Amino acid sequence: MIELSGVTCRYGPGGDRRAGGTDPGDGDTRAGETRNGTTAGEGGVLAVDDVTLSIDDGEFVVIAGANGSGKTTLVRTFNGLVRPTTGTVAVNGRSVEEDLVAAREAVGMVFQDPRDQLVAATIGADVAFGPENLGLPREEIDRRVQAALAAVNLSGREDDRIATLSGGERERVAIAGALAMEPDHLVCDEPFTGLDEPARRSVLDRVRTLHGDGTGIVIVTHDLRDVFPLADRIVGLSNGRVVVDGPPERAVASLPGIDVRVPARYPPDTGADETGRSKP
Amino acid sequence: MTLSYVPDDTLAHRLDPRSKLLFQVGFAAAAYAYTTPRGLVVLTAVAAAVLGLAGGGPRSLWSYRFALPFLLVAPLVAGATLGDPWFRTDRAFETSLASYRVLLVLAVAAAYVRSTPVRDSRAAIQRTVPGRAGVVLGVGVALVFRFLPLLTHDLRTTREAIAARGGDRLPVHVRMRLVATAGINRAFERADRLGVALSARCFAWNPTLPPLAFGRLDGVVLAVSVGLLVVAVV
Repeated sequence: MIELSGVTCRYGPGGDRRAGGTDPGDGDTRAGETRNGTTAGEGGVLAVDDVTLSIDDGEFVVIAGANGSGKTTLVRTFNGLVRPTTGTVAVNGRSVEEDLVAAREAVGMVFQDPRDQLVAATIGADVAFGPENLGLPREEIDRRVQAALAAVNLSGREDDRIATLSGGERERVAIAGALAMEPDHLVCDEPFTGLDEPARRSVLDRVRTLHGDGTGIVIVTHDLRDVFPLADRIVGLSNGRVVVDGPPERAVASLPGIDVRVPARYPPDTGADETGRSKP
Repeated sequence: MTLSYVPDDTLAHRLDPRSKLLFQVGFAAAAYAYTTPRGLVVLTAVAAAVLGLAGGGPRSLWSYRFALPFLLVAPLVAGATLGDPWFRTDRAFETSLASYRVLLVLAVAAAYVRSTPVRDSRAAIQRTVPGRAGVVLGVGVALVFRFLPLLTHDLRTTREAIAARGGDRLPVHVRMRLVATAGINRAFERADRLGVALSARCFAWNPTLPPLAFGRLDGVVLAVSVGLLVVAVV
């Protein structure tokens, strides 16, 4: 279980968007501390504003919001990649700050751009990277790599070069890399961005299967159309605050004001226009 | 094309990375000891054979294209004098041999990079150099090998982005400034992102390293490497 209590993330007065907003680019950074020569103060960018949230094991949660609403910063607090300015984050009852490795084992993260995440030349080496860092025995690493590759339908392709893969395949390798840590929760940040339809379907199928197998899924997105039918719960963010939190059928009626795409079959409830875009 | 590990089943791929590292040391020592036309002819054959055994070829050397202008200019600079006779061919010749020697060493290094996964290099270093020094060196090598391909990719895309908007018609010094500025910015961004990626995946100083084992072929390579070192010293 992931539990956030009063989490606020504020970044430097210059509004260093690399650390907050849509693309936090700094690991192990405490929001509000000195970064790149600046110190965050009250005038900095407030990426996440007093969020209290809990996500159960096995739950399929969609974190929805427009660009810059604080989605990525929020989920990066789950495993300590971003440390909140105030508030606490706990995973399975343990503070993330106290045991970063345990948090990162329990919460697997797939970044928005898989190229930022893939660190080895071949699929097998990349998927093995995390388990190797955990110091697991070689047999266990091999078992996890095989299982993770099977889960994303890439079995037998361990020696394929990552540089030669398509966007969808890279996304699946990134998911496999996270799965090899055998996480309780898999967080996917905008997993469908830049993918064509077959690749979207493929990633979606993998995510659906993983959820069916009991892995908790957290999808960060501004486009709810693909994941709406799968979600147990939708958490809507606006300006760093949680403004919607509930099951899809209830949440979708409360999404006005959040600039996200919703399924077109819900226009009467959402006020969405023909394109599926919700109206403020 | 960026020089990086290419999965294959060549002879070089099957060798233990420690044998390959020792061979590189032996080859470099021999190249420095025999920087003569005859010595370099022999070493050229060896380097070509090594590159071939790793599944590479002349195209593998294209990654070193940024070093080539320096290697080519060095003999001209060495031969130039401030007075009569203005250019000394003997000095230029000597330096051109030295430049060529560097190219041969780079060719053997290319064979190593092409045939050795990063984690195997890290394992070889950590098992060869004892203690924390080996760990630090291993991590350093692993990070450099992971970071460089990303950086060169970024520089290439920067150049393409500049060219796509007509920037290729700008003077060279302006293009160099643009690429350098964007390149440095991207390098910092890339370093940030790589740092996050490594953190997210629990980057550790002492991970489970891949098993390494010397085979029969390694015995041959080790013997040749020692032979090269002996020849260089004697």
